[in-house]
Amino acid sequence: MNSSKIKEQGGKAIFAGTAGICILAVIAIFVFIILQSIPALSKIGFTDFLFGTKWNPDANDIYANDLVGKYGILNMIVGTVFSTIGALAVGGTLGYFTAVYLAFFCKGKLKKIINTMVNLLAGIPSVIYGFFAIKAVMKLFNWMSPTGNATGLFMTSLILGIMILPTVTSLTKTSLEAVPKSYYEGALALGATHEHAVFKTMVPAAKSGIKAALILGIGRALGETMAVVMVAGNSPQIPDGLFESFRTLTANIVLEMSYAGEVQMGALFSTGAVLLVFVAVINILMGFVKTGGQKTKSKKSLPLWDKITSKINFGKIGKIACFVSAVFAGIFLVSLVVYILIMGLPHITGQLLFGEFEYGGEISILPSIVATLMTILLSIVIAIPLGIATAIFLNEYTKKGSRFISIIRSAVDILSGVPSIVYGLFGAITFVVLLGGSYSILAGSLTISIMLLPTVIRSTEESLKSVPDSFREGSLALGAGKLRTIFKVVLPSAMPGIIAAVILSIGRVVSESAPFMFTMGASIKPMPDGYMSSGTTLAVALYKLSSENLHTNEAYATACILIVIVLALNLLAEWVGKKLEKKLNGETNGIRTKHKRKAS
Amino acid sequence: MEYGQNISVKQADLYYGDFHALKNINIEIPAKKITAFIGPSGCGKSTLLKCFNRMNDLVEGCKITGEFKIGEVDIYKTNDVNALRKNVGMVFQKPNPFPMSVYDNIAYGPRTFGIKKRAQLDEIVERSLKQAAMWDELKDRLNKSALGLSGGQQQRLCIARALSISPKIILMDEPTSALDPISTGKIEELCGELKEQATIVIVTHNMQQATRISDKTGFFLLGDLVEFGDTDQIFTNPKNEKTENYITGRFG
Repeated sequence: MNSSKIKEQGGKAIFAGTAGICILAVIAIFVFIILQSIPALSKIGFTDFLFGTKWNPDANDIYANDLVGKYGILNMIVGTVFSTIGALAVGGTLGYFTAVYLAFFCKGKLKKIINTMVNLLAGIPSVIYGFFAIKAVMKLFNWMSPTGNATGLFMTSLILGIMILPTVTSLTKTSLEAVPKSYYEGALALGATHEHAVFKTMVPAAKSGIKAALILGIGRALGETMAVVMVAGNSPQIPDGLFESFRTLTANIVLEMSYAGEVQMGALFSTGAVLLVFVAVINILMGFVKTGGQKTKSKKSLPLWDKITSKINFGKIGKIACFVSAVFAGIFLVSLVVYILIMGLPHITGQLLFGEFEYGGEISILPSIVATLMTILLSIVIAIPLGIATAIFLNEYTKKGSRFISIIRSAVDILSGVPSIVYGLFGAITFVVLLGGSYSILAGSLTISIMLLPTVIRSTEESLKSVPDSFREGSLALGAGKLRTIFKVVLPSAMPGIIAAVILSIGRVVSESAPFMFTMGASIKPMPDGYMSSGTTLAVALYKLSSENLHTNEAYATACILIVIVLALNLLAEWVGKKLEKKLNGETNGIRTKHKRKAS
Repeated sequence: MEYGQNISVKQADLYYGDFHALKNINIEIPAKKITAFIGPSGCGKSTLLKCFNRMNDLVEGCKITGEFKIGEVDIYKTNDVNALRKNVGMVFQKPNPFPMSVYDNIAYGPRTFGIKKRAQLDEIVERSLKQAAMWDELKDRLNKSALGLSGGQQQRLCIARALSISPKIILMDEPTSALDPISTGKIEELCGELKEQATIVIVTHNMQQATRISDKTGFFLLGDLVEFGDTDQIFTNPKNEKTENYITGRFG
């Protein structure tokens, strides 16, 4: 009827619409990738593709001819499964014990420090992990390898394991801390020791949460690309030893996309489709864990895990394992940062930072810095409003049990589980094609924007949830409409959380490389002259510099710059996050002192 | 149609899902008086209070039938909930100042209804704080965060905030249950002054409070309005046995 009513309805429609974009994105990703795979699959044959053990693309690779090349990805599937199991063995164990340590054996300052370290591990770019692995970690293990070169399954599992540790740790910790304290007190009252109460009472009570953490860790390991490409060796064979070279599904795509022939290109998209199937399976598993958590007698699940933990329950061994895991994570982070700083700082030169880039001559990363900044700017402008609007819809307009809401939530879950390289593939066949077929910073920014959505949505939703309902009631009771309540009371209160989301998103743009390589370009170039020109972000530049092996010093320097930026952003996000808590608890005075005037 | 200062409820029923929370309520609340709702927890007194400014609209599965009139306006027939809430202010059980400065908290309501001029806002802030007897305490702290105030101050600030849009009726949902005796006393005193200009409906668990400040009292039990009358009569000479049992402490 009146204009305010129209405004309210319009606002709601806009929020719902943006939320719909997430569903649209999921559908688009699945549909486009699968559509791109169909011609190649029908040419190669479904079973030959999935179960073929030869991957040998031929130069004469067009759909019109008879196939000369071989396109079987079984070896890569096995490679992915092996490296994921390896990563789970390393990262699952370390992450689990670190979480138990943080939740039950560690207090005060030490707890804060380890917590921050785990968060920082999560923020370090994949390329840096790979770079650190080949430059430093591998040297420690080369003697163990028969070939004198430690690339392969062992190295990949180790690095992947550390990369999934933060995911496993933070989720496990959250579910451990959600177990009622009264369980612990009950156990102690029966004469149990602290260790016994922790491992026999608290941990089993958090079982479904821990399972969810491990599954998410698996998802992360499956989809990891850049670090794996750098340390796996990449020959398309089934590894028959820990130091044997192998190739994962994600690596397959990165390695061959840039020069793929017609059928080969299709086969790479099919590889992406297989990854999507893995993602779907993980999401379904997650659904089971979440819903079946209460009623399953968790005795039968993860028997091996039970055996391991029940062995170490006794005495202080469990406690020691916890301590060692946490210390290991800390030492890894510190040595990574220190090593890269020491190796990189001396090579940060004026030429590198501000010089002119010349083909075949001097290297300058100024163009990459500019391209990174342009990407950050555009993707933030796109992803933040969309993400915030979606979060508002999910949190402020939710009706319990609404079908639409639960579909959006699963869409967000799936989006956050899709491997970054698959986003790259998606960007390559949508944005790149739409924008005229050549790589551009615009196409890269659009691709990463979709990737940022789930992070922004979740983080905003969390901070919206922490705004007490009494604020909303207070505003509504004063006659304010829903929109005014959201924009004037709820969002300002949630602002620190939203700012943290922005900072984390910037960190993500800086860290990612896989989504950019086939949307924005992968060769280091002179200064971009607009959003339509191609370019490399810093992380992609580091990958290129290190894989060409010609500019090692410049690579160290780039890594150094990258890591300083990423660490700074993560620490900043953490600091801002704490502000939110303080603000809502009313510990700060004069938060919004816009009115500098004295009362009349 | 005008919002008046009296509330008239006829044959009202309220359901939360299947739960029948208010049963055939009929009540006439007079203008510029203090009316207290008493009764044990879960009896429906707060629920009825929240009907008067339609805060129950926020509750999922809440269904309301019957007639609720404020002055001439049938409030469940109007589309403009915001105008209703402008006329019927509310103070909540727990103080809920916004995380803004004192000034912004009070200016929030007027700004909602389009007042933007600094001078006009200044005037409203000062008037509201004076009405809530807080001006002297807070005039030098207008730019400080409202969350830095004590619990009692926060609650009186919330009353001042409600007054900022000159409501004809003020609903108070156990406004002193989270406060110390001194702050409670201040708020009770304030209520006595406010009834010069507005009708006050207050939900309270505190019998003494009801006798101290209210002119009319309604006793609720399990969704029924058992008895409604002058406060003196309810507490000295209740007509209903259940009321008497509750008041003399044999109940609840």
